[in-house]
Amino acid sequence: MESAENAKANSSRLSSVLTDTHFWVPVAVLLAGLLLLRTMS
Amino acid sequence: MESPTGMTPTAQPLISPAVQSNSGSRHLRLLGTLSGFTAGAWLGAAEAPTKLVSIGISPVAISLIMVIGVFLARWSLPALILGTSSVRADVRRAPHLIIWAVLAGCLWAVANTLTIFAIRDVGLSIAFPLWNSNSLLGIVWGFLFFNELRQAGWRRWAGVLGGALVMCVGATLLAIASSTQAPAGHSLRGVWAALGAGVLWGTMYIPYRKAYLTGMNPLSFVTFFTFGELGMMSVLAIGYNGLSPLWQELLVARGVIFWLTLGGFVWVIGDLFQQYAAKYLGISRGIPLSNSNQLWGLLWGIFVFGELHNRSSSAYLQVVGGSLLMMLGVGAVAFSSVSGGEQARWKEAAQREGRRYGVAADYVEARMEGRQAVGESAPSRGILDWLLVAAATAIFIFFATMARVPQMSIHWGPAALLTAALLALLVLCGVALWRTTRFN
Repeated sequence: MESAENAKANSSRLSSVLTDTHFWVPVAVLLAGLLLLRTMS
Repeated sequence: MESPTGMTPTAQPLISPAVQSNSGSRHLRLLGTLSGFTAGAWLGAAEAPTKLVSIGISPVAISLIMVIGVFLARWSLPALILGTSSVRADVRRAPHLIIWAVLAGCLWAVANTLTIFAIRDVGLSIAFPLWNSNSLLGIVWGFLFFNELRQAGWRRWAGVLGGALVMCVGATLLAIASSTQAPAGHSLRGVWAALGAGVLWGTMYIPYRKAYLTGMNPLSFVTFFTFGELGMMSVLAIGYNGLSPLWQELLVARGVIFWLTLGGFVWVIGDLFQQYAAKYLGISRGIPLSNSNQLWGLLWGIFVFGELHNRSSSAYLQVVGGSLLMMLGVGAVAFSSVSGGEQARWKEAAQREGRRYGVAADYVEARMEGRQAVGESAPSRGILDWLLVAAATAIFIFFATMARVPQMSIHWGPAALLTAALLALLVLCGVALWRTTRFN
């Protein structure tokens, strides 16, 4: 019972992160940075 | 439990709570300012070991070795200062921040690797101010996402925007100087690498601000941040070099592993102070302040490594003038202090984050004020903490036994003076943080 609640809480937190628009800004910049790094070497 | 003003709960206040609150808030802002300058000194010093790039180790391998030092420091220092029980308690209250911390660590690793390329192509004294443009981006994100500079008044806006403009002029001057100093065909690549690092680091402050608005202790945040750093750096190093060639390169580099991991360790100390600056001043002010590392980097580059030796006087003037302009801009931003109206908007942003991620409001408020929440147990160190400290120390000693002094021209007199200044700032700011917040 408790583990089911924990799983639900974890899922809810993950959902809060993924639906937070702020989250996708660093993700996009990270991908761009990796591309830039690829052109460097 | 002692209150932030130093009174016990039973003591009768001699001044009104509102005055106490204003005074405590001002005290925290001053503490943030001191943390920002101390961060600048330590972050600037940490870049000095990357000069070893000139001895033929690949940039990715150098970055990986530095990150190993960073990883060791990011676990051992929090364990030493507060204990891992405090880290665990923080994570229980705001577990979502683990994702943010790991993401920030990935951004850091890529940015750090780019800086090594930048140093190789345009030199430390040029690359440094360029990637410090991250503070401009920090201001943008702070305004857009975290209500920083909202209701700040025209003077503060003028200070921040004027400062940002002066910084851009300084950065342009340095970019022009770089085109005459770097090998043909590489200067543009170096400039792009430095600017790219600036964008990555500037964006990395979004997770920082997320964490501190919802009350996480900087010492807790960095322990998870470092998984992102080491994980991303390992992927990059293996991806670019391959496992076996990377291992061979690490074996060849064993004589300098100690110096590079030491650079990572010094970086962590600077970064910790930067985290406290971001916590108490916000990213729009804390980051420009800690970007005074540019000046410290210049001091190390010129006086310890003789970087501008035999350059033309015009290039010298461009670098010094550009750096001074950037510093002037940083000063203007830093002295645009936080108004009461703006602080209220910060709290709104904090409440928004708290609601979104289910973090208790009293915890968020207490941590914003640099104190423990009601019912929160005092941090303590256990056997695990001492084991972590001992293991990190043993690894550093092991690396030191393999170390050799790099065969390059180093001026030891200025290096000793700069080191003494670093230690003085460390003690001053460390004691101030401890007395005011107990590192909360």
